[in-house]
Amino acid sequence: MPADQPSAADNPSEVSDQVDEAALADVMRVVPLGAAVLASAAVALLVIGYLAIYLLIFLPRGAVG
Amino acid sequence: MTQVHEPHERRILGTELLWAFGVGVFVAATLGMIVFTALTRDINPPSNVERIDPKTLHLSGEFAEQNLGTTVGSDGSVTVRVIATQFMFVPRCIAVPEGRRVTLRFATPDVVHGLLITGTNVNTMVVPGYVAQVHTEFTRTADLLMPCHEYCGLGHSEMWATVQVMSASEFKPGQDGRVSCAQR
Repeated sequence: MPADQPSAADNPSEVSDQVDEAALADVMRVVPLGAAVLASAAVALLVIGYLAIYLLIFLPRGAVG
Repeated sequence: MTQVHEPHERRILGTELLWAFGVGVFVAATLGMIVFTALTRDINPPSNVERIDPKTLHLSGEFAEQNLGTTVGSDGSVTVRVIATQFMFVPRCIAVPEGRRVTLRFATPDVVHGLLITGTNVNTMVVPGYVAQVHTEFTRTADLLMPCHEYCGLGHSEMWATVQVMSASEFKPGQDGRVSCAQR
């Protein structure tokens, strides 16, 4: 590398954080739970929306066939 | 089969099985509701398959001009026949009774059209060469809008009709069994 070109490590944002394994393991125990809660909430909202339209709008509109 | 040894792999497998079970329950519940309402409340997708020649349907037979509109049969059955054409429904106003089973029959001599009747579950395509048929029962008196909902050409936005739902006292067929819209 030419001497007049700065190293990428001169910029703090280019250097990876120092993460110790224990802290990483702690975080990774919680992250899947958060993902599951988020996914469950999204699916629950979808199901509630479907049921609301089906039961409150579609069925009262009467027979068709 | 892949051996599962690691505890975290077992956890992932357990989560996936739980999701699969939940999705299975939802799909079964949805299908169950559809079958239940089909059997108990007569709600089904319109599934009539009936051919008709689009080149001659207006010349004679069921969809000739004098047969269009609402007819009450000798057995009391109410049948509505409508032609969907670029860019109007014929007739423009359809009289139907409140609280009686009505058979709606549509045909087109030109391109694909579609229609819905606002505030009801009536919603079908009208495809050249086929008769679209829908059975329904209108539950309240009103003037309902029936627009074409399938783009059929430059005049598509002007293509709509009115469905006039009449009370039993107002819905009186003439001697020929025909019923027309009332002037309101």
